[in-house]
Amino acid sequence: MKTTMSSLSAFGDSSIQTPSKSRIRQGCHSAGPNVSGDHINLASSSMPSFPILQRSSEEKILYSDRLTLERQKLTVCPIIDGEEHLRLLNFQHNFITRIQNISNLQRLIFLDLYDNQIEEISGLSTLRSLRVLLLGKNRIKKISNLENLKSLDVLDLHGNQITKIENVSHLCDLRVLNLARNLLSHVDNLNGLDSLTELNLRHNQITFVRDVDNLPCLQRLFLSFNNISTFESVCCLADSSSLSDITFDGNPIAQESWYKHTILQNMMQLRQLDMKRVTEEERRMASIVAKKEEEKKRESHKQSLLKEKKRLTINNVARKWDLQQHRIPNIAPNQDRKVSDSPQDPSQLHGSTVSAFPEETGSLDSGLTSALQGLSVTDTHLVEVDGDTLSLYGSGALESLDRNWSVQTAGMVTTVSFTFIEFDEIVQVLPKLKIKFPNSLHLKFKETNLVMLQQFNALAQLRHVDQLTIDPQGNPVVNFTLWKYYVLFRLSHFSMQKINGTEVTQNDMIMAERLFGILAHVASSELPQYRLISILGDARKKQFRYLLETKGKKPGLVNEENSDSKRLVGENTNRATLNYTTRDFYNERLEEIKEKKKFCKMYMEDLVKEATEINMKNEALQKLWPQMFIELVRDAVIEIRNKSSYMKLCLQQITDQK
Amino acid sequence: MLSPERLALPDYEYLAQRHVLTYMEDAVCQLLENKEDISQYGIARFFTEYFNSVCQGTHILFREFSFIQATPHNRASFLRAFWRCFRTVGKNGDLLTMREYHCLLQLLCPDFPLELTQKAARIVLMDDAMDCLMSFSDFLFAFQIQFYYSEFLESVAAIYQDLLAGKNPNTVIVPTSSSGQHRQRPALGEASTLEGVEASLFYQCLENLCDRHKYSCPPPALVKEVLSNVQRLTFYGFLVALSKHHGINQALGALPDKGDLMHDPAMDEELERLLAQVPGLVNSATANPEAGCLPSRTPPRVGSPWRPLHHARKVDAESDGSTEETDESET
Repeated sequence: MKTTMSSLSAFGDSSIQTPSKSRIRQGCHSAGPNVSGDHINLASSSMPSFPILQRSSEEKILYSDRLTLERQKLTVCPIIDGEEHLRLLNFQHNFITRIQNISNLQRLIFLDLYDNQIEEISGLSTLRSLRVLLLGKNRIKKISNLENLKSLDVLDLHGNQITKIENVSHLCDLRVLNLARNLLSHVDNLNGLDSLTELNLRHNQITFVRDVDNLPCLQRLFLSFNNISTFESVCCLADSSSLSDITFDGNPIAQESWYKHTILQNMMQLRQLDMKRVTEEERRMASIVAKKEEEKKRESHKQSLLKEKKRLTINNVARKWDLQQHRIPNIAPNQDRKVSDSPQDPSQLHGSTVSAFPEETGSLDSGLTSALQGLSVTDTHLVEVDGDTLSLYGSGALESLDRNWSVQTAGMVTTVSFTFIEFDEIVQVLPKLKIKFPNSLHLKFKETNLVMLQQFNALAQLRHVDQLTIDPQGNPVVNFTLWKYYVLFRLSHFSMQKINGTEVTQNDMIMAERLFGILAHVASSELPQYRLISILGDARKKQFRYLLETKGKKPGLVNEENSDSKRLVGENTNRATLNYTTRDFYNERLEEIKEKKKFCKMYMEDLVKEATEINMKNEALQKLWPQMFIELVRDAVIEIRNKSSYMKLCLQQITDQK
Repeated sequence: MLSPERLALPDYEYLAQRHVLTYMEDAVCQLLENKEDISQYGIARFFTEYFNSVCQGTHILFREFSFIQATPHNRASFLRAFWRCFRTVGKNGDLLTMREYHCLLQLLCPDFPLELTQKAARIVLMDDAMDCLMSFSDFLFAFQIQFYYSEFLESVAAIYQDLLAGKNPNTVIVPTSSSGQHRQRPALGEASTLEGVEASLFYQCLENLCDRHKYSCPPPALVKEVLSNVQRLTFYGFLVALSKHHGINQALGALPDKGDLMHDPAMDEELERLLAQVPGLVNSATANPEAGCLPSRTPPRVGSPWRPLHHARKVDAESDGSTEETDESET
């Protein structure tokens, strides 16, 4: 009531509370008035229910404009006769149930019906000059019938049962509206109250507030002891430039950690919060914290966007992979397009990828970036560096190994994970991997079509592998009982620590050696020398070829290659001949050999022909020779049968020769 | 050695029969392939090594399938190599699936076809449940039969089908019904109740096949032995019997007897030596830091020319002291 008092000072200095010297005449049926100490006379009226009030003429002159009927145990409003110039009327602390019999008091400015039993606002339609209406602590359920009270300045409806703010839009002169201790669950419908400077809504059940920004003069808003829990529910307050004083204590929102700075940040115009002055320091803190939160939100939003992009891309790659593996039938192309059109414009995708390049990490706020640095994200493959892990999805991702990786990033990578890429394709880039990511110790393969034990031979060319993880999904080779032992055997020079997460024990190594040791022995010592050279030479030749394909042949590289090959020699040589050629290369080589084979065949045929001809001739000669020899001998014998004639013949031949 | 029969053959046939040309062609081809490397140490030495390895049976290691399949000797060498290299797997007692065996085969021959392995598995599993596990010895012997006699088996399968269908390629169709014909064409109802075909009939067809077949066949005498034990038999029953027959295994000469399958003392010794190096596995070969580009080798085992494991040759008629390399299967 104190506030009402202060605003009423304009009405003069007489306090309403002093008992006035009026007399109320009572009807016979009403309870006896408490006339002790009062000069109230209630005379019986002609109407059986209503008492008639009469005052002595001195009083009328003394307090001509005010009438106090406090604590008179009134149950009805008495008929007030002859007081048409009355301006202040006080009915506090009675038991009045209906506002009646005051329609004639058309000059009334101040009407106080505090603490009665009124259930409905009514009977005020003629009081066009009314400025202060105090209806606190009654039983009013609805704001209504105030249409004509256009000059109302103060409306006090605290302590009632009002559930909704309504029918007040015409009160354009209203400055104070008190709806504390009612049953309001929300605040809206406040338009039209163009003069309202104070709105008291304490002790209600308000969960959200709207339309406050439509109150151009509102300075003080009391929302203590309601049910507000988020700032969003009162966000309209931020738009009210006139608000300078607000209370939220007793609301759930006031318990939140972000309460103070959120309010301060969103309501820069505030001067008092919860009846305490807002200091500059507080304001500054609030803005800093709010900025941080904003950044964090933005960052996490960016992260979730990236994650979503990543997820979609991986899904796309997975589906392409499945198609490739003929696992799912080819679906309609427009469905493909739908998936490939990820939520954002492709140009935007590229735009975002450029900014996320590893070289430009310095520009990102180090405090807020997580280790995740999403790199090139297109629809067909995904390359991602996450601290110490390089993840490649889709065969297109293998090209990214050609990129210029910063030494720092590349040096940190210890794990390389391949998904949805054919193992044969991976084999071809292993030399590149060796060079670009020298610290990669752990390789992970998932959905890479590892089907043969032989394929593991290809991993031997790497520098060092500490751990190997072969995901059973998409790698049938894992179903073989002996695959781990074979890996341990073939890659024994790596002294691997873990395979698929389980530690490698000495027993495992022994078993591996026991199972396949003879294979190695056979492969090394029983191969003829030239085969050894050709197989090993082949492998080295291939390595050189890959190296040459990379940008420029650096002189330093050659030395490295030499030392590498030396080390290769130094490693388990007896396994070195166990190589893996990808299917394509193998077939290629077989094709190449075909020509040679054809030539060899022809050559051999020629040789054979020659040899058989010679053999035939030899055999024919052998057959004919005895006969020929006999004839030769016979001829000779016949010739020298006659010694003398033969001698003559010979001499003749000699002289002829001269 | 210089038997008159051998010299009686015309040249090409003689060469073809002994597959000399195959090896010569392959040798020249290999020479062409690696001429830079081989020219370093001489062609004569190359040929020596080549034919030595052919003798020893190591020439087929890591070669392409077409070469391995080319001659019976190659096939037998391959079988033997497979046995030697993976005997330890069998010794370990692991039962493996067909695909796993195929993987092991591929370690030695990268383009080994899956069909052959599948066929071999079918023999072991009697054409049932192809994903079952098989023991090493079962698989190896079945694989031997399938691989070594693949063409023969194909013809046998055709014959079998014919017999099942009631057609006998052998009998002359005489209008007057003879007892033979009656036997050939049992009513279909009969055929379905009795499995397979009659053994003796089957043998007749096979005998004819062996005579005119230019590919290697198992010795007819042994086949007869197999078939004489039963009245009727199915195709896979026949193959299983073949694979388990000791005589045929010996005739082939590639693998030891089933009982001895896990024994190879020389290799075991080698293995122990290798195993001894395992604890200090960190660069067991650093002791040989050769700067040369050739890998350091343990002194090559002086491989004796590969002899079949059983010399029980005296039994056969053709004991003219021919070299061990010729098998009865090649006649």
